[in-house]
Amino acid sequence: MNITLKNIVPQFLEKEKIQRSQIWGQEHTFRKGEMIQIVAPSGSGKTSLVHFLYGLRKDYTGDILLGEKKLKSLTPPVLAAIRADDVSIIFQDLRLFKDFSTQQNIEIKRLLSAFHNTSKINEMAERLGIANKLTQNAGTCSYGEQQRIAIIRALQQPFDFIIMDEPFSHLDENNREKAMQLIEEEAKARGAAIILADLKPIEFFNAEHIIHL
Amino acid sequence: MTVNNISFKTIAVFFNTGNKSSRLFSYAGLAVGVLLLLCCVQMYININELLKDRNPHKNGYDFLSVTKTITNDNMGNDNRFTNADIEDLKKQSFITDAAPLLSNQFRAKASAGDIIPFSTDLFLESVKNEFIDTLPPSFKWQPGQQDVPIIFSADFLEMYNVFAPAQGLPQLSESSIGAVNIVLECYSPDGSVTNFRGHIVAVSDRINSVIVPQTFLEWGNKTFGNRPPQAAARVYIKTTDANSAGLQNYIQQKNYHLNKDKTKFGRIKSTLQAIVAGLGGLAVLVVLLSVLLFSFYLQLMVSRSKDNLQLLLTLGYSPLWLSKTVAKKWIPVYAIIILLAFAGTALFQYSFQKNFIAGQDVLSPYPHFFVIALAAILFLLCVVANYRLIKKLLYKL
Repeated sequence: MNITLKNIVPQFLEKEKIQRSQIWGQEHTFRKGEMIQIVAPSGSGKTSLVHFLYGLRKDYTGDILLGEKKLKSLTPPVLAAIRADDVSIIFQDLRLFKDFSTQQNIEIKRLLSAFHNTSKINEMAERLGIANKLTQNAGTCSYGEQQRIAIIRALQQPFDFIIMDEPFSHLDENNREKAMQLIEEEAKARGAAIILADLKPIEFFNAEHIIHL
Repeated sequence: MTVNNISFKTIAVFFNTGNKSSRLFSYAGLAVGVLLLLCCVQMYININELLKDRNPHKNGYDFLSVTKTITNDNMGNDNRFTNADIEDLKKQSFITDAAPLLSNQFRAKASAGDIIPFSTDLFLESVKNEFIDTLPPSFKWQPGQQDVPIIFSADFLEMYNVFAPAQGLPQLSESSIGAVNIVLECYSPDGSVTNFRGHIVAVSDRINSVIVPQTFLEWGNKTFGNRPPQAAARVYIKTTDANSAGLQNYIQQKNYHLNKDKTKFGRIKSTLQAIVAGLGGLAVLVVLLSVLLFSFYLQLMVSRSKDNLQLLLTLGYSPLWLSKTVAKKWIPVYAIIILLAFAGTALFQYSFQKNFIAGQDVLSPYPHFFVIALAAILFLLCVVANYRLIKKLLYKL
């Protein structure tokens, strides 16, 4: 499955920002298996784009095509199936169940559509240094730890695309590298594309395309 | 997608169920409401069954027999209705129609042939067909016809059955009486006899007389009678309300006598049914209120769990699957509630049949099929309404 953007323009964005953009108002296709870095300064609509791609918001003109289908016209159950099986996400605001343990947060995603068995959660948590946080409530973890929980959660499902919105903002260099490595490995295992949106290029990400928003 | 493997248990922790008492209240309300409703429907059917054959109502009308009251003072007078009397009856606003009961002006005698050695002098009467409650299509006669259809009073049949054994005569049921061949002997003034074959084609609860077709009686009176047409001693009236004050006043003022026994069952039945229907209406209200209370509880639960539910949907949990899974949780609850209410109704019907009518088989001790069907329909309605509400709430998130 490919994702094609056709003249997407957010209804709220200033005209001059749209004119300079390589995505807004343009036609662009993200292909399965591609490594894409989207560089977006503050206020350029980065998070909006991520939400548009994930089908959370519809306040734009133009169309986003998932394969042949218009994203806007999908019914809630079909969209849910795509989120479970085809498109994974790491939100900038993470969106964890704060009152539930790290393990529960990750497991609820794995149960929906499992790519790995449950022992893989421990292995990943070990790699990213949050193994001792698995039984702790996510809300009581530091923001950096929560970011790693969100990353591990996003890697539990099968996907063709993983969309990430400033996934490493609260991680140190060492943890960034480890996290990026894990994500790249997991994407390769699925033959999937990575779409990473951040304020500036991430040094450990071997991006094939850099697109300026 | 492997979402089908997940049970409600997995996601139950994300629901903030809260307020247990309002949930239990709505369950209790539903159980009481359904029990009341089922009992009312069963009772309505019971009343209908118990008072079925004694209802003299026909299309909402009462049919009453009117005679002039015989007292010591007027015993010697002619207490029959003149044409003017009948016209006056018809003119009253509370009387829809009036018809005289014509009687035979010749001697008639009935015998039941060789099988039942029974013979009696007979009075025959006729009235307009529309005043007869049980009118079969065969109730017709024309000159030259040997067979005379007869409609017989149910009271007379009862009376006959009381005295028959003492006379060595067989007792007869309503259905077997039609098989008895009656020889109807009509006497001319000169003493000659003409025989007809009589058949009882129906039994009437309304008219306590021996009714023959009007054509036969008119022909008979002309052929065998030697007097000019006589006035009727009895008039049947058709009225929408036998208890109307206007009718009562009129009857009293004219010094007439009204045979009202027959309407009593009808009155009791319609009164009882109105009470039961009123209770049934109340039951529907209770059911609706408890469903409403439960829907408030569900709305509260969804709004308390809103953040969690929204996140589940964001993660890719299908709102359709979630609605079905959550709704399924209440299927056993509704099943238990409705089954309990149904069991209560069954117990009620059993004790009603055993105690109130002493186990007579006019009523089944088990709930009527319609009550079972209604319980099933209520169960389905609850499940569907619950599912639709949950779906609506989750899709709105």
